[in-house]
Amino acid sequence: MIAVGLLYFAVIIGISVWAARRTRTANDFFVAGKGIGLVALTVASVSVSVSGFAFIGGPGLIYAVGLGAMYIVLPAAVTNVMGAWVLAKRMRLLAEARRLITIPDAIGARYKSRAAQGLSAVAILVGIVGYMATNALAMGVVINAIFGVGLGWGIWIGMGVTLAYSASGGILAGIYNDVFQGTLMAVASVLVFLFVLGFGGGLGGISHTILLHDPTFLGPWGRLTPLAALSFFFVFSMGSLGQPQAVHKYYMLRDPLQLKWYPLLKTLGLILVLLLYFSVGVGVKAFVLDGRLAPLASPDQATPTLLLNVTPIFLAALVFSGVAAATMSAANSFMNIGAAIFTHDLPVALGRKVGNELKWGRIATVLIAVAAAVTAQRSGTMVAFLGIFGWGLFASTLVPALAVGLNWQGATRAGAIASIATGLIITLALETAAYWKVFTFPAGVTASAVAMVSSFLVFFVVSWLTRESAAKAIDPDIQLVMEI
Amino acid sequence: MTRRVALIALFVSIAAIALGYGAAFTRSGTPQWAPWMLALGIPVAIGAIMILGAVRANRGIGALKYPFALVIMILVIGFGAALALPSTDGPLSRLWLGLPARAAIVIYGVGLLPIIILPVAYAMTFEEMTLSAEDLERVRAIARENELAE
Repeated sequence: MIAVGLLYFAVIIGISVWAARRTRTANDFFVAGKGIGLVALTVASVSVSVSGFAFIGGPGLIYAVGLGAMYIVLPAAVTNVMGAWVLAKRMRLLAEARRLITIPDAIGARYKSRAAQGLSAVAILVGIVGYMATNALAMGVVINAIFGVGLGWGIWIGMGVTLAYSASGGILAGIYNDVFQGTLMAVASVLVFLFVLGFGGGLGGISHTILLHDPTFLGPWGRLTPLAALSFFFVFSMGSLGQPQAVHKYYMLRDPLQLKWYPLLKTLGLILVLLLYFSVGVGVKAFVLDGRLAPLASPDQATPTLLLNVTPIFLAALVFSGVAAATMSAANSFMNIGAAIFTHDLPVALGRKVGNELKWGRIATVLIAVAAAVTAQRSGTMVAFLGIFGWGLFASTLVPALAVGLNWQGATRAGAIASIATGLIITLALETAAYWKVFTFPAGVTASAVAMVSSFLVFFVVSWLTRESAAKAIDPDIQLVMEI
Repeated sequence: MTRRVALIALFVSIAAIALGYGAAFTRSGTPQWAPWMLALGIPVAIGAIMILGAVRANRGIGALKYPFALVIMILVIGFGAALALPSTDGPLSRLWLGLPARAAIVIYGVGLLPIIILPVAYAMTFEEMTLSAEDLERVRAIARENELAE
């Protein structure tokens, strides 16, 4: 296990040294200079779309609530192609027309508004805090499991390695490490899937065991209410259009015409990586029910218990490396986006310009990584809370203004600003109230869902009320991008 | 026209989803019709926003209307079947590709069928409906004009 772990880190360091030698400008650092090829970008995008949740928390959630937990990943069947139709072409053409490098750049250009750009940058930064801290903690858990160094050192070693390649090689190092990490995740996921099916006597054998003891588990909603399961589908389908780690990648494709195959390749890649999510969740449930595994101390133990008790040691090491890969690639992507907010978006929103964006980008990357590691070490359960609202915050603040706004010339600056502010305020207020148990939602209703629905409705209503200002507020080049 | 219909459908579907959530706050608990608001609203919202992204200027969506309609239908039928079919799962249940019927409808229908339809439709109509070399050149030309103006 330690040998595989060391080999994994050696490959990461090798790729990072190579990438650092090729990173000379801010454009290289934030959007990979002249761009990335289709296959590399697709694998990298799969890699950042899957965090440690898909390998640890997700299978645990299936173990706890049954097939209802699948509604988090079922949207993958439509989200990539939806993103391609709604955002990919327009984002990539904005990069051609304006040399844009960030998502707030796109919002600022669309609405000719520094306020909208600044507000969206703040919203992304708040969400990044949650994601980064969650991934830092997950890294600590995995590194501790492999090397036995303790959680605290695990967090700092994981963030240190991620920081080293992010600050030196920027997004270029991130992308090619993501390619390696995404491949590793897919291989590990497929092998575990095949192993679980073999061990359980096929999917039919696993289902038969579960149906014998706990038929509700394999019902269409599992133990969730229908409203809760459908709510997952809503937040993780429509919300995918506002996830900066995936949307930012659209800027980087070298040849825009290669977008043709992007959704098909990415969807297939995601399905491979998510095989583990499904197979470990239902497999471990069946193995516990038929007595081949002891009942789990907590649902999150589903993957570690299977790996440490049932699978060959090499496969266990491969999957633990895959989990480290998932968390590192997500953390790297957010470091890069966060650094761009500090050195580019916030200064632009304030009417200022940073002199040496590459140097300040590297400094901001270090600061963000240190802040995330400290937050992860000190926050305890707060980290989980921050991670949960990260996705919802991105969804409620960015989807209407960005995804609808780039496809509807009737959307107005006032509508965008009101929608982003609504998403930010409602998510923060409701998640905080729920965390401190000031308020309890009815089963199936979440802060993310309420915030996203509210943000959409505010966006439509305010844009309609201010519709006379809509058409004249769009520059001709942006209008062309929106009409193509 | 297509864009306007898509926008209205998106607004109405989001409002329906909001109504479903709102109903969950009633004192008597979530009414039975509330999940139906999401089961119908989510597929329409997804279809509407994809149409909004696919439509170009004042042109319609051409042949894409078929895959879009098919996927919206698959999602509505999948969610609807899961809500409407009675719960009869047990050790003697017949399995479909290893899963009981209602779970198979959701996992294979909602989770896998759209993969076969939508990305293939996207690739097959890409040059005609999404982006051609001529489109790209128009954007590059205006970018060059912008650079000269600066």
